[in-house]
Amino acid sequence: MFSSLARQQWVRSSLPVLVAAVVIMTAPSLVTGSFWQRVIILALFNVVLAMSLNLVIGYTGLLALGHGAFLGIGAYTSAVLTTTYEWAFWAAFFVAGITAAACGLLLAVITLRLRGHYLAIATLGFAVIVYQVLMNWIDVTRGPLGIPGIPTPPNIPLGNGTELDFGLPAAHIYLAGAFAIVCYVLIRRIVNSPMGDALRAVREDEISAKSLGIRTFAWKCFAFTVAAFAAGLTGSLYAGYMGILEPSAFVLTVSFTLLAMVIVGGAGTLVGPVIGALVLTIVPEALREVGPEYRMILYGLALTLVVLFFPQGLVGIGAALRSRFRSSSRSKPDEPPSDSTGTGFAKEVPVDAS
Amino acid sequence: MTLLQLVLNGLVQGSLYVIVALGLTLIFGVLVKINFAHAEFLMLAAFAGVVSIDTFNLSYGVSVLVATLVGASLGVAIEFGIFRPLRKRRTDELRPLVATVGVSILLQNLALLYFGPNPRQYQSPYMQKTIELGELYLSYQRAIVFVVAVAAICALFVFLRRTAPGRAMRAVSQDSDAASLMGINVSRIVLMTFVIGSALAGLGGGLLGPMLVIEPTVGANIIVLSFAIVVIGGFGNVNGTVIAGLLVGIIESLVTGYLEAGLSSLAIFGVLLLTLAVRPTGLIAERVEQNV
Repeated sequence: MFSSLARQQWVRSSLPVLVAAVVIMTAPSLVTGSFWQRVIILALFNVVLAMSLNLVIGYTGLLALGHGAFLGIGAYTSAVLTTTYEWAFWAAFFVAGITAAACGLLLAVITLRLRGHYLAIATLGFAVIVYQVLMNWIDVTRGPLGIPGIPTPPNIPLGNGTELDFGLPAAHIYLAGAFAIVCYVLIRRIVNSPMGDALRAVREDEISAKSLGIRTFAWKCFAFTVAAFAAGLTGSLYAGYMGILEPSAFVLTVSFTLLAMVIVGGAGTLVGPVIGALVLTIVPEALREVGPEYRMILYGLALTLVVLFFPQGLVGIGAALRSRFRSSSRSKPDEPPSDSTGTGFAKEVPVDAS
Repeated sequence: MTLLQLVLNGLVQGSLYVIVALGLTLIFGVLVKINFAHAEFLMLAAFAGVVSIDTFNLSYGVSVLVATLVGASLGVAIEFGIFRPLRKRRTDELRPLVATVGVSILLQNLALLYFGPNPRQYQSPYMQKTIELGELYLSYQRAIVFVVAVAAICALFVFLRRTAPGRAMRAVSQDSDAASLMGINVSRIVLMTFVIGSALAGLGGGLLGPMLVIEPTVGANIIVLSFAIVVIGGFGNVNGTVIAGLLVGIIESLVTGYLEAGLSSLAIFGVLLLTLAVRPTGLIAERVEQNV
């Protein structure tokens, strides 16, 4: 039925998804401790957040420093709707995504005339504003008291009489895992389509892209909005899992850790942010025993060292090792992997020293 | 509190923000790069001040000097550790920003590890005494802070306008290639800029210290304010930074006095986003920025 090439492509594109699905299905039985189950759930949330931020930083080349703000907007929207207004979880879930996307679009329209450092500062300012709103809009968010008693998603009947019980962490692992896989597949579709080409064109050279008829402003808004939408949906799942929200969960540090995940994993690649999110969520938790400070020290150190010495992140290190191994064993020049040629979060050009 | 009192407090606070933000602006002017760890320098300098008083029994004046020196040496360290290597590799302009975000997280948590989470008090003998000027009250500390800050700003202006290295710094800021052709040693000027800019952050730590509780996160609160000031004033624009810093100090004081403390950063970042949307080159447009 398939030509061998088509089959090879199908295997290449479906294998990672299948492996991920199997890992997620078996995770709750392999990892039984409640601490590590919690780490897995948070890691899966971080995977989605890092992938969506990568769409902005890695593929479109816009350094946005406030991605955590969209997580906060989504989480609080969902929490307020399900507690104060007693909405059904899934309705609140979608409204959370749409609210975050609307805020993302608004921020994009205001700030995307700006480039480089200005955009970085503007998004930073946005994150501060969102945090302050969560702290000070007491009537809605209860400020520093936080919102307790957020309902979990409703149990999902599985057909054979059992149901997925969201009172148990396993159900949250399945949900977060399924959500992460869906996001991965959708983002891969975007990136491998002409849309992805347009985003990369904006990253490489905005003026040239414009001269080719690419509506750069619209594409930048698109990347921002999609990323904010994904983060908002993640926020809703986060609220449903945690059951309680406080503004302190959405401080600037959250945005910086997401930035670290993208850069350390490898910006502008599909798997980079996934690896970055998993590594930078799981390894620091292993260090929690030693002392909570070491967790953030690891983040800071990893981010600094990767930028200084491995600009293409962990994925770049992997690709370099692989190509060295292959070329030495087969002595055949290796073509660069189609998607890991992204040089990082922005174009790598010699800057004039001004 | 009367309006005048609030404005006065705002001016004092603003003069401190100006010192911190001027460091950022100088570095941006010369390098077109942002040092995100700038406010961690302030935090570490303030801790150095605390230690020099508590452990070594030095006087407050000497501790401010120590803080300034610590700031300056951190500036040298980050230039050699981060900015110069990345410049040599001719990477894109945003990479140093990301690297220094990492440095900022690192320094903050190393400080947490070393000094612990408990806030420390920066002792100053001038906190208790107050000056009365008619209806206005001003603690000696605030008066000293204001005088030193204004003196530092004036000194910087004289340096930039009247001395050869200051002129060289402005030349590099305008066009580093042309400056280099005129025989200016650009990398020496860059190093000098980091020393001066980071010394200002250290000085800010020494002056601000007694008015705050010193904890590892103290820099994080100040860095975002400094960024707001730098953007509102126009990146790399020294005059604009001074005006914006004083303005932000006054806005903060008025909002805190009449409304609520938490709303002050909302107001300031509202002004920031408004500036970016309406007039991205800042209050005083010196020249059209490439980045906008």
